[in-house]
Amino acid sequence: MNKFGNKFGNKFGIVAIGLGLIAAPVAAGNRLIVPGQPVAVAKSMLTVTPAVEWNKLGARPGRNSETWTFDGDALNDLTFYGGIEPERTLFREVSKRNKPLPRVKATMLVTDIPTLVENSYRIALDTPLFTVEGMEPMAFAGKPGIRFTYSFTRPNEDLPRKGEGRGAMIDGKLYLITFEAPRLHYFDAGVASFRQVADSAKL
Amino acid sequence: MAGWMIAAALAGAALGAGASDRLAPLPPYGTAYTPTTVDERGLWQQADEAERDLRDSPAVIRDAALNAYIGKVLCRSVGEGRCRGVRVYVVRAPYFNAFMAPNGMMIVWTGALLRLRDEAELASVLGHEFGHFEMRHELKTFRRGRTIGDIIAWTGVISPYSTLPVSLIQLHFSYSRAQETEADLMGLRYLTAAGYRPLAASRIWERLMAEEDATALGRKRRVTHHYSAGFFADHPTELARATYLRETAGTDGERGDEAREAFLTAMRPWRATFLADQIKRNDFGGSEYLLGELATGHWTSDLLLTRGELYRERGNPRDLVSAAQFYQQAIDAGCTDPIAWRGLGLSLLRGQQAAAGRAALKTYLEKAPAASDRAAMAMLIGEGGVQ
Repeated sequence: MNKFGNKFGNKFGIVAIGLGLIAAPVAAGNRLIVPGQPVAVAKSMLTVTPAVEWNKLGARPGRNSETWTFDGDALNDLTFYGGIEPERTLFREVSKRNKPLPRVKATMLVTDIPTLVENSYRIALDTPLFTVEGMEPMAFAGKPGIRFTYSFTRPNEDLPRKGEGRGAMIDGKLYLITFEAPRLHYFDAGVASFRQVADSAKL
Repeated sequence: MAGWMIAAALAGAALGAGASDRLAPLPPYGTAYTPTTVDERGLWQQADEAERDLRDSPAVIRDAALNAYIGKVLCRSVGEGRCRGVRVYVVRAPYFNAFMAPNGMMIVWTGALLRLRDEAELASVLGHEFGHFEMRHELKTFRRGRTIGDIIAWTGVISPYSTLPVSLIQLHFSYSRAQETEADLMGLRYLTAAGYRPLAASRIWERLMAEEDATALGRKRRVTHHYSAGFFADHPTELARATYLRETAGTDGERGDEAREAFLTAMRPWRATFLADQIKRNDFGGSEYLLGELATGHWTSDLLLTRGELYRERGNPRDLVSAAQFYQQAIDAGCTDPIAWRGLGLSLLRGQQAAAGRAALKTYLEKAPAASDRAAMAMLIGEGGVQ
């Protein structure tokens, strides 16, 4: 289950259970990321070099994305979006008819990235409790980019979560790395490792 | 064989219900009302549990002035004696809805507050929900559902190939629709008795239908008008509700108080938040219709600003031109919110009008020197580089 899978991934849940019966030991393709070695992420040219061990989840939020975690994605979730093309959504759309997600536009400015994240989360998680706290310029893989912070709460959970993102529009495509965790303990405990991974991003 | 079974079981259920209800004629909104039957106690217990959860939820808007206003409208609508049995919770959710729990917990979504035009319309929604509470609809639905479930289970044992369950399921949903109609008409009676304008009740549904059509068109879906309720529908169609409410309101439905100014004054501090929540739903057609409805020919600066944000966030090349125009119109109409200049600047920058865009962003930073996105905007102007 990816981070949005809990909310609307029933279809994938059934598939996962079905596969589980046949190949139980595979554990859905989760993999250990070893520290100190460059690794290509999100099926793209984007590479990062983590300083500590991470777990890569087998389930992806969308086509060009990938999630890493320490303790499970409900507690710390580092997601890479490796070059989302224009007219594509940030992550998998659950219903194009009834809950369409906003699409990346080639003309997007870096300051539009937090808005895209905010609106996508509000729709996918069905919560109005999402706030972009602030943004400032920060290079991303050597290109002009943005760093932004946000907070949100999933419905029926009441657990305040914090998030931080680094992104850029490079050749009309969106590159983005986000980290989010419960405000209580987990965000502060993991954010330094996230920043180190984001700082190491290369294209 | 099927016929006698339904008849016998429903009659039995009616007798049983009658026996247990005989001792519970007290209205549920009375002071320190204690639920009397096992079923009612169970439902109240569940509702109390849900209310404890909701009470602590960050989605609840706790603004004292807003809550006091809604409480006041409820009390005027259903009467002082009745309204004291109800706790109203305003929940931040950008869709049109309101609910009533059997224990007197009433929930109003902010999307409903944004869409209502005046106090009479708010009173009709609150009166409708109160009607469910007063008539103990949830308890009746629960019992009816259980009886029907029992009959279906027994039918399965006795004659597995019977088509009876289908008609019973239909019976269940049509029962629910009848309750909605009953609550609608009760709400209308409260509305009229309180001196509000009776036609208010039907207009809500007419506008909701138009908004749904606009959403469908915006998403390139077929517009489907519902002339009759579907098999599983638990509410009557909006068309049916608009029609019977208009007819019941009578020919002099325009009489009475609508209290538009009082309503708008109470909503004013929250309107920007409600509008922002609406446009972030990525429902361009519905939002555009709703903004037009709220404007009713007179575009105020806050609506123009929101319209600019709506167009800019969709961000097609032509949208960016329109967005810049709306921001400019908002500024010309006396908008003082700095985000109008930010929106104008960003739209112009994305539309290849760099010089004009930078100038607008500079004005934004002059007007909002402590903005949380100051450094990012300064970078777009060219005053600060990548750090």
